[in-house]
Amino acid sequence: MIDIQEKLKEIGPYVPAPDDDMLLCRCEEVTKGEIRQAVHAGMVTIEEIRRYLRCGMGLCQGQTCGKLVKSVVARELGVSPVEIEPAVSRAPMRPIEMRILAEDGGERS
Amino acid sequence: MTERYDLLVVGAGPAGLSAAIEVAKNGLHPVVFDENARPGGQLFKQIHKFFGSKEHKAKIRGYRIGEELLKEAEEYGVKVVLNATVIGLYQEKELTVRIGDEVKHVKGDSILVATGASENMMTFPGWTLPGVIGAGAAQTMMNLHHIKAGNRVLMLGTGNVGLVVSFQLLQAGCEVVALADAAPRIGGYGVHAAKVARCGVPFYLSHTIVAAEGEECVTGVTIAEVGPDWKVKPGTEKHFDVDTICLAVGLSPMSQLLKQAGCEMKDTPGGYVPVCDALGAASVPGIFVAGDVSGIEEASSAMIEGRISGAAISHYLGYLSKDQLEQKITELETALGSLRKGMFAPENRGKLITRTEENIEVSMNLLEKGFVAEEEIERYPGVKHMVGIHPVMECTQNIPCNPCQDACSKGCISIGDNITSLPVVQTDQKCIGCGMCVASCSGQAIFLVEEESEPGFGTVTMPYEFFPLPQAGDHGKALGRDGKVVCDAEVVSVRTAKAFDHTNLLTIKVPSDMTMKARFYKCAAQ
Amino acid sequence: MKQTADVIIIGGGVVGCAAAYYMAKQGIRDVVVLEADKSIGHGGSSRNGGGVRQSGRDVRELPYAMYAVQNMWPTLSEELGIDVEYYQKGNLRLGKTEAHLEKLNKLASNARALGLDMEVVDGKTVREICPYLSEEIIGAGWCPTDGHANPMLTTLAYYKRSVEMGVRFFTDAQVVELQKIKGKLRRVLLKSGECFEAETVVVAAGYESRYITRTVGIDIPMTRYFEEALVTEMQPHMFDIMLGTADADFYGHQSKHGSFVFGSESGLEEATDMKPTELRTNSLTVSAGCRAIMGYIPLLADAKIVRTWGGWLDDCFDGVPVISRVDEVPGLIIACGFTGHGFGTAPSVGLMLAQMAAGEETVVDISALRYDRFKSMR
Repeated sequence: MIDIQEKLKEIGPYVPAPDDDMLLCRCEEVTKGEIRQAVHAGMVTIEEIRRYLRCGMGLCQGQTCGKLVKSVVARELGVSPVEIEPAVSRAPMRPIEMRILAEDGGERS
Repeated sequence: MTERYDLLVVGAGPAGLSAAIEVAKNGLHPVVFDENARPGGQLFKQIHKFFGSKEHKAKIRGYRIGEELLKEAEEYGVKVVLNATVIGLYQEKELTVRIGDEVKHVKGDSILVATGASENMMTFPGWTLPGVIGAGAAQTMMNLHHIKAGNRVLMLGTGNVGLVVSFQLLQAGCEVVALADAAPRIGGYGVHAAKVARCGVPFYLSHTIVAAEGEECVTGVTIAEVGPDWKVKPGTEKHFDVDTICLAVGLSPMSQLLKQAGCEMKDTPGGYVPVCDALGAASVPGIFVAGDVSGIEEASSAMIEGRISGAAISHYLGYLSKDQLEQKITELETALGSLRKGMFAPENRGKLITRTEENIEVSMNLLEKGFVAEEEIERYPGVKHMVGIHPVMECTQNIPCNPCQDACSKGCISIGDNITSLPVVQTDQKCIGCGMCVASCSGQAIFLVEEESEPGFGTVTMPYEFFPLPQAGDHGKALGRDGKVVCDAEVVSVRTAKAFDHTNLLTIKVPSDMTMKARFYKCAAQ
Repeated sequence: MKQTADVIIIGGGVVGCAAAYYMAKQGIRDVVVLEADKSIGHGGSSRNGGGVRQSGRDVRELPYAMYAVQNMWPTLSEELGIDVEYYQKGNLRLGKTEAHLEKLNKLASNARALGLDMEVVDGKTVREICPYLSEEIIGAGWCPTDGHANPMLTTLAYYKRSVEMGVRFFTDAQVVELQKIKGKLRRVLLKSGECFEAETVVVAAGYESRYITRTVGIDIPMTRYFEEALVTEMQPHMFDIMLGTADADFYGHQSKHGSFVFGSESGLEEATDMKPTELRTNSLTVSAGCRAIMGYIPLLADAKIVRTWGGWLDDCFDGVPVISRVDEVPGLIIACGFTGHGFGTAPSVGLMLAQMAAGEETVVDISALRYDRFKSMR
């Protein structure tokens, strides 16, 4: 059980940092500062942060930024990155055009 | 209708192909899918010679190993489907594969995921500028597409990838301005570092990138020293004009398919990997893994892991008895075990090892600057003063590699049964100067030295893999291990031979007292 | 360990988070939200198509659906301080056959009888409203006051504001049992052994509500149903309307971000035997969805799909939720069985739950949604 209010108290308030404007997720243009602020707003899981900021939801599907986001979240929460559950993994593993996906040998009855 | 095979392999890299060959040998019908236009995974961009022993295909260049694997796959009738992107791994061991303009549903009685790894990135101001690229990407550009990755390059990361790619950048004609690493010591093989250092590339350990500069693209980079707290020490900044910054900061397993399939996963400092047994079986019955996707290692170990998984799959589907499996596994695990020995063994990762297995002090200069200092080099059993021509083996770390021992038909070089032992020069044997040892050393760490070939002068024969090749009679400078000019040098001969496999043997004449110092040659014009 | 609160909300989805927010806003001082998963909005709240729709709704839920559209959605972003990407540009329910039109006409006349501005328009008008739609479309149900919003942001916006207002959220807090003390609901027991106590307990835990309310003898006849969705890469802005079809083969919209979010089916969903904790997509659904979508919006053929996902619906037996106090368990309020269309009504449902917790009248009459409405069929 995680007490969100306690957790937020524990990590203290958000303190701006000089590199907050650095892009972390290039596809969706999410900055380090936005991610750090999201943690302090109560988004303490990667799942929540992705939904809140869209980081890792772009064309590269988090291939580039997944690990970077995780380490920023971990640092903000004061834990090791290994303790942060990574994002779920969803098909298609590579972005695919609708017209190609539509050609799977299936037919509408 | 859904196609069905005994085994579906995702990824035609070293692990995937090896597994497919192994199962085909046992009578199974596998199919291998790869999203690339060419099979072989990263092997075809590995233009350097591999380490290990004969069974690990040591001293063979990576792309040749790739060719051999493909030939073997063809011999055993392994079906390899290229430009085939696996987009999902579903229940009942079903893959959806994008081939051309359609998606196929393919089922297997077993599935091997051998998807490899992708490069890590790191952030610093300017990291998104064009010109900041992965070292692996640079390698792909140069070695597969024949495109120069940049003109002036800074490499961040001194693991084997950073070292090997730096050397290849030099070979491609790029200027590598520096190698930097936040760690206090070089992470990769000392021999890889040494061949970069003697070209004159400086190493900056305990340094990280402060910022990449440039408006539209990279025009410069600033690095600075970091303290033990990984924070930049003010005032230690160094600036380089570069157009390219290569990042060699590790790899992450591409394990997403396994996660999608519901395999149990674990997060480790080395990446997010499937939980699997010693034979590569993941938690979902019938799903196996091999190679980097289950933890980052080298292509050599990926090939053995692939064969182990292949044997396990053959047994899983009833094509191998338990006894046959055990016999096979024992053999393969021995081979894998020997690759995982020595100073760079998985259990030694991140550890500072100060003495070799022979109880010789490790060169700190090598770990911090990339080359063995003059006063340190004669500690090692491969470096001896002798009359007449003789090999000098500047191999100072215990790594699993022994081709030099077999290369010398005269018995001048011995390593013994322990593959990680340092090579020893046998002073009672007569070297004939054939140069096979020089060409066989994947680390380019063997030189032939004749301290006095004529009064006051001697010769040094070195491995040379740069174009244009110097010619006999050329005059230039001899460089030391640190890449600094030690003296004038004259090219005596340049030997090339099929047996040398593209490693040219360059012999230079230098004053006798320079024969144990001169380790690289730069022609006068440069 | 025992913790007490004025109100405990079981379920950190959009309904639970909205209820928490309106309770805090109303001045209920100590509100606790217990979420079984590690993440807020892990269930259907983050997995739905984002429809904020009045059309096509049952007469029993239309009043509070309309209340939300008229009084809450337009100002929600401002109120919560986060853009929940609400667009009120109408909903087209597309038809390609005479049978479809017949269905749509019936739907529209029912809606109009209830006071909703829904009509059936012809193919030409459809393409005037949205020029990107296929020539094959011969007509559509059109409700100009419908719309869509971002369900993930809406859920998290309610959550964030509630946290700021002092609501205590606990994640990874799975409730296994409710207990009465002296005839009144009092205790909430967690799988981990913790115990919470309150005078009022709201159960808004989707299908899992069924297991929870059963521990005090209340069973809500629900089934669960798995539905999938997909999202494209970012596309140039095309339209802001919400789309559905008479055939119900897909629904969705273009998000503010530019990606298109669509829900779709393979038609095999009813046969699934997945456990409630499993969220596996089927290998056939995404392709079936793409065929359906391209049949109505041909221009999207080259749009790349970047992700697919699935989620569970809590399908109530008669298609509308239970939002109700429970006479024989004083203190218990149930809000579940939203049957896949709970997102659009979450603001008004949250508001009404807060009103019920405070002992007030709800803004609209929801007596038709009582827990004890289910009778034997034969």
